Order: sequence, then structure tokens, then C-alpha cells
Amino acid sequence: MPKAVRLYVKYVDAVSWAVGLFAMYLIFAMMGILLYASLSKAFTIPPVWSLEMAQFVMAAYYLLGGANSLQEGAHVRMDLLYGEWTPRTRAKVDALTAIFLFFYLGLLLYGGISSTQYALQYNEQSYSAWAPYMAPIKIVMTIGIFLMLLQAISMLFKDLAAARGETL
Amino acid sequence: MSHELIALTMFSSMMLLLLTGQRVFAAIGFVGAAAGLLLWGDGGAEMAFSASMKLMKWYPLLTLPLFVYMGYMLSESGIAEDLYKMFHVWMGPVNGGLALGTIGLMVVISAMNGLSVAGLAIGASIALPELLRRGYDKRMVTGVVQAGSTLGILVPPSVVLVLYGMIARQPIGHLWLAGVFPGLLMAGLFVAYVAIRCWLRPELGPALPAVERQMSWGEKLRLLKAGIIPLVIFFLMTGLFLMGITSLVESSAIGAASATVAALIRRRLTFEVLHATVRKTLHVSCMFMWIIMAALCFGAVFDGLGAVKSIEWLFLKQWNMTPWEVLIMMQVSYLILGMFLDDTAMLVIVAPLYLPLVASLGFDLIWYGVLYTITCQIAYMTPPFGYNLFLMRAMAPKEITLMDIYRSIVPFVFVMILAMIIIMLFPQIALWLPNYYYGR
Repeated sequence: MPKAVRLYVKYVDAVSWAVGLFAMYLIFAMMGILLYASLSKAFTIPPVWSLEMAQFVMAAYYLLGGANSLQEGAHVRMDLLYGEWTPRTRAKVDALTAIFLFFYLGLLLYGGISSTQYALQYNEQSYSAWAPYMAPIKIVMTIGIFLMLLQAISMLFKDLAAARGETL
Repeated sequence: MSHELIALTMFSSMMLLLLTGQRVFAAIGFVGAAAGLLLWGDGGAEMAFSASMKLMKWYPLLTLPLFVYMGYMLSESGIAEDLYKMFHVWMGPVNGGLALGTIGLMVVISAMNGLSVAGLAIGASIALPELLRRGYDKRMVTGVVQAGSTLGILVPPSVVLVLYGMIARQPIGHLWLAGVFPGLLMAGLFVAYVAIRCWLRPELGPALPAVERQMSWGEKLRLLKAGIIPLVIFFLMTGLFLMGITSLVESSAIGAASATVAALIRRRLTFEVLHATVRKTLHVSCMFMWIIMAALCFGAVFDGLGAVKSIEWLFLKQWNMTPWEVLIMMQVSYLILGMFLDDTAMLVIVAPLYLPLVASLGFDLIWYGVLYTITCQIAYMTPPFGYNLFLMRAMAPKEITLMDIYRSIVPFVFVMILAMIIIMLFPQIALWLPNYYYGR
């Protein structure tokens, strides 16, 4: 495999890993927000922002963590046939069917970008008492999807290498 | 192409893609997004992303990562070891007693967690090695752990019922309470099955020898202390929610925090444990969330095709079915689909098609949620696609082969179907408690 590919895989994997590490610990942010909400409800009035903020953290959590879980093979597959194949056959089939993954992620990214543009252009706000701007979370979501796409390309390179009997 | 034909094409291409072993979310997402692009014209390209915005508004799904976290934390906390020891000593003297104790353990774990992951992790790491060492029949005990852990989604709290509640627009509190007696009924049926088999053939589950049981009553009673922490967690999480003090998502955060505190008190909370827990939590949550996101896109297209009307027309006009036949037909189709399709995706795609029909036929949607959950439990265990199956394969001790895992579930699937039939015939088993509690 050419050097550029090796470098690509190395750096994208490193970024996915680092962003994944950040996303992992967002669970404590979710927990913290909700605990704060339930405690403050017990003594005073609950904050207007808690639920929506937790939703935003949740969206960031699974979209930013997507690339890391792709990297570590956490997305399930139906292994009726897949489970029986040799690693090399799996790599070949994966490299072939990666087109479907790219197509889906590409459309997600397209939708993300156009939705973010809209949010920026019209200063879109959420319909709630707190009325936060939607652009920041949409940007984070789009970044997560973009990273997922980069990681999927990295996986494709790895599969192509494995199909030729090499390792990256 | 007619709408029915498009729907059929979408469904079969999804199945075909799944067979190639591509990741489930990619297979479902591709078919959904591509169909949206082809059929919708303007705005069709945005359908994939708008599913993610819809998912964000489904805030009760916040419970998912928190319950996953809690499940892993509980299995690390060492609470399960104590509980197991308690059941072990108290149930030991009976034939098959340890297997019965394992079912008891699973019920307690289920009452603390809303997924089957926790029960399976605990069952495979703590109960199974011990049961095998004592010469229990490996197929029977593998089945006990697999089937017992699925109670996690029926006994409250339950993430599956949360997801169902969002799709069916039914209150989660009612759904959770409706799961209590069906869960206990099913656990009771498991107990009966194991007890009868071991009574007929004691070699399947030998009783503990007397030497091991020599323990003073004081000591025996002291073992019951193991039940205190689970009771406290149950009260803080489900109790406060049902009393209306905390909201659903808040209660799941309290549950997650209390599991962490339990691990801390028992001095099991090291940095390695914490890191491994959040890492596994991210992976499991991402897997589910990406599948749900893809399925929402698929479902939106499917729904737009008017599949609801088609199914109603097919069942009622074309096949002239009575309401009960329709209901049975639906359950059978879930069972068959559940073997091949991820059941979260199945819920998001198929349930919106069936639910309007169920409601218009005059069935209770709370009761139907319980029936649906039981089909989910079965789907978790039946090959080729089942979460418990995957987890079991990854976690089971070496002497348990794939064939053992497959064959171990057979009797338990029949027991579960029996439970489902009983609840179909006597809806009050599910509905009495929520009606009583909420005074409907």
C-alpha cells in the first residue's frame, strides 16, 4: 500500500480514537446534568435548560463516538454467512459492500451540512422556553458524521490491504 | 411500480444487504436513504439527517446509554457475587437448586437494569463457571442464563418498553408496571421447568452435598444482607420514578450514579474499571443509536408509502381475518423477523405499521407492549441474529460450544411462547397492576 494511504489510516485512526475518548466521558456530563436537574427540582425550581442540554450531549455522544466504535468493530453485523468466512473473504466482501456505507454516510453528511447552513443563516432556535441556537449542536453532529466517513474510508483501506494479504 | 411492490423491494433488498454481513446500520440506512432519494424528490436527500434530529427529540432514549453504563457498572461492582452466594446457600439443597438460584439472581438484576446485557455478563462470568464446576448439565444452564437475562427487558425498568412507549405514545410508567407480573410469571415458568427436569433427572443438576451446606442460621441470615443494595437501587431508580418524584431520564441517571456509588463502597471502582465501563458503554450505545437512526429513516420512507393502509387492507379485506387472527399473525411475523433482523430496528420499522391497526381493532396498547417485549426476548436468543446470542458466544466458558448455545435455548423459547399465550388469554396479568396503581 502507498505511503499516503498508510499515513491516512494512521492519522484518521488516531483522531477517531481521541475523539472517541472524549465522547466516552460525555456520559458523565449527561449524568451530571440530569442529577442536577432532579436535585434542583427537589429544592427549588428545575432549570429550563436541563433536558434539552442533555439531549444535545446525547446527540454529540453517539455521533462523535460513532467513528471510534466503527474502528473497534462495535457495530453488529448479521453473521449467518459472514461468520463462516475466512478473514480474507470477509475483507473482500466488506471492501465491496463499503459502497453502501459510504452512500449512507454521504447522504447523512449532505443533510447535516445543509441543515447546519440553514441554522446559521436564519439563526435557528429551538421551540422551547430556553430557545437555544441550533447551529452549535448541528455543527458538532456534522463533524461526527464527517469523522465517521473518514473512518469508514480508513476501514476500506484496511480491508483492501487484508484482501491482498497485507496488514496496514 | 405500485406502493406495495416498492415496500416489498425495500424490505427484500435490506434483507439481502444484511446477509452480506455489512454492518446492520449501514444496510438499513442505505436502503432507507436511497429509497428516500429516489422516491421523494425535493427534500429526499435530507431524510437521513432529519432522522437524527428526530432521534434527538426522543429524549427518553437518554435512558439507553445510562442503563448500559449501569449494567456494566453493576456487573463490576461485585454486588452480583454476594447475591449469587446468597441464592447459592439458600437454594443449594434442592435438586437443580443453583440453576433456580441463578434465575432468582437474574430477576433481581432485571429489577435494577433495563437491558439484558447486565444479566448476561453476570450470568456468564459468575454463575456459569460455578454451575459447570458442580456438574450441572451445560445445555440446561446455558439456557437458564440466556433466558433469565432477557427478563431484563420485561421486568421494570426496561429500555425496550421505553422505545415502544415512544412509538406507541403510551406512558412509560404504565408500561413498566405492566411488565411486572408477566416478568414474574415467566420467571416462575422457568423455575417450574428447571425444577421438574431436575426432579425427573437429578443428574442434570445435583443438589449441594451436606458438608457444603453446614452453616449456622446466623450466617445464613447474614447472607441476606446482599439484597440490601439492590433494594436501595431499585427504590431510588424505579421507586422514585413511579411515585412521580423523578422523571424517567432523571431516574436512569440516578440509577447509573447509584451503581457507581455501590462499586465505590465495595472498593471495586478503580480507574481501569471505570474506563473499561465507559468504553463498552460508548460502543454498545453507538451501535444501538446508529441502528435506530438508520431505522427511523427507513421507517419514514416506508410510512410515506402508505404501508399502514396496505397492511390493514391485506389483513382485513384481502384475507378476511378476525381481530385475534390479526394479532396472532403479527406476533408470528415478529418472531420470524426477529430471527433475522435486529429487534430494535424491527420495532422502529414494523411497530408503526402495526400499532394503528392494533388500536383500531380495540386491543389495549399497554398490553400489546408487553406482548411485543416478549417477542423481543425471544428474538434476543434465536439464531441467526440475536444480541444475547452474540454476547453469549463472546463470553461463555470454553467448554460451551456454539451448538450447545443454539440447542440450549429451545425449551426456553417454548416456555416463553407459553407465557405469551397465557398473557394473551389473560390480559389482566399485565394490566391489573398499572390500572390499580394509577387508578384507571
